[in-house]
Amino acid sequence: MKFIFAVLLVSMSSFSFAESIKVTVNGMVCSMCAQGIEKKFKKIDAVKDIKVDLDNKIVILETKDKQDIEDAVITKMITESGYNVSSIKRGANE
Amino acid sequence: MFKLLSLSFILFTLNVSAHPVIYRDGIVVSSFNMDNMNDQQLMYSVTEKFAAGLNSLRFSHDKKDTDLVFAKLNHLAYRYNGHDSQANIYLHSGIGLSDHRAKSQGAFMYGAEADWETRTLFLGLKHFQYYSPHQFDMPVTMARIGFSPFTASFDSLQSWFMIQAMHAPLADKTVSLTPMLRFFYKNVLWEMGASAKGGWMLNLMVHY
Ligand SMILES: [Cu+2]
Repeated sequence: MKFIFAVLLVSMSSFSFAESIKVTVNGMVCSMCAQGIEKKFKKIDAVKDIKVDLDNKIVILETKDKQDIEDAVITKMITESGYNVSSIKRGANE
Repeated sequence: MFKLLSLSFILFTLNVSAHPVIYRDGIVVSSFNMDNMNDQQLMYSVTEKFAAGLNSLRFSHDKKDTDLVFAKLNHLAYRYNGHDSQANIYLHSGIGLSDHRAKSQGAFMYGAEADWETRTLFLGLKHFQYYSPHQFDMPVTMARIGFSPFTASFDSLQSWFMIQAMHAPLADKTVSLTPMLRFFYKNVLWEMGASAKGGWMLNLMVHY
């Protein structure tokens, strides 16, 4: 039990080192079309993980080694996928 | 003939695909099949506004087939991205060949398509014209209304119930109503339906 707890703690803390960028996207209603967003961001080296949340209309980007991705790049990827960026927020992942 | 050729570049066509233009650099492969109609497409989205590709169609009426093949250009003319909804207007154009009553010759297609969707509602309307000089000038009109009983997350299976009304005189002089089911999972979409007249429908679409 203690071991599991320790593993959990370590894995959570390692997550918190990643930079997290929260992008609010307009028009994201269809998961099939939104696959384009995932596909595009996965091609960027700095992206460690991407989550598309259709309920909250957000795309969460986890970057490698606290790297940042410029707003202009994020906006370009979202626009080329057919959507509009409504806001971009940064913060360490809790 | 030249007049008609130049006309085809001015006019635009509409196809049967649900996603005529997708994300930049995306490829759509689709196969739309009903008992009296087949529509196969391969489209490449050069940008998020324009897609180019190939489309082949077959309409069957009284055991007589009309075959069409087109080089196509699709254009996303308008896009509305709302917080909970999305709307699109697409224009389509195509130039190619037709094979109708044992005669092969040039053909064109043009039209427009509009849709509006939320995560649980879908409305779509398409009208396109298929034209082969001195042979036929035929419309295909299609309307779809759909709803999804629940909202599924990004990585899970989406299910929709839809009703399609289609008028395609090259295949059937009357309007056919087809209740159908649409499913999609990640980048793969499939649909199946059966019309009130006993006709069937089976569609498949993949985005790359
Ligand atoms: Cu879609």
